[in-house]
Amino acid sequence: MSSPKPSEPPPPVKLDFVAAILSYLIPGLGQLTQGRVRKGLLFLVCLYALFFYGMYLGRGKNVYLPYNHPDEKGTLSRLASDLYTRFQFVGQFPIGMAAWPAVYQYYVYAPDDPKPPLNGWMRAPSMDEINQLQRDGDKTWDLGWVYTVIAGVLNVLVIYDALAGPAFREVKAAQPGGAA
Amino acid sequence: MNIYLHLPILIVVVSLVYSATRHDNWNKIVHEAVHWGIRMSTFLLVIGAILFCLSTFL
Repeated sequence: MSSPKPSEPPPPVKLDFVAAILSYLIPGLGQLTQGRVRKGLLFLVCLYALFFYGMYLGRGKNVYLPYNHPDEKGTLSRLASDLYTRFQFVGQFPIGMAAWPAVYQYYVYAPDDPKPPLNGWMRAPSMDEINQLQRDGDKTWDLGWVYTVIAGVLNVLVIYDALAGPAFREVKAAQPGGAA
Repeated sequence: MNIYLHLPILIVVVSLVYSATRHDNWNKIVHEAVHWGIRMSTFLLVIGAILFCLSTFL
């Protein structure tokens, strides 16, 4: 009596770097290009809903990169210092293009600019504004940035799904007679 | 508006997205999302009950 044949290991994962980049730019776009349309739409709707709901809770002023170290020499050194004082942006950035206006505002930042670019969208608010939002916002300003950070971090999982597929792959059972 | 009323969207999105990154089969995605939703809601309710008891009776 022969023992049952052990199931064969699944084929190696084919990495799809283009889809991963697309999913970084817009959540779910990589899955859409791979033909996994429903999943792509689920990621797109869910992550943008969470991200923009978080921004709505913070009255549009909780996704930004502050310009706190103008005297720091060197762009990278200044950026590192500013990220250190607003570490939330490291979690918000993986949401993709939706967070890029904050980076643009950071590079064109001029204090006391009466007409900031993009109508001030994702521009670092003044300390007075932040204090007022935290004082009058019933904690929603802070809750909002938590939501935006969670949306960004979840998109890292989505990028990985586009790159290498889901964590648990479906392996087709071997057909009787040897055909797989 | 009570701040806790903002929680459902977070629980739904995290459950669905996390489950969808683990499976491609929709039955499994929905099944796992429901499980994660229940787990997270239970965890938050227990933490809330503990904090309520601490602030009320201690």
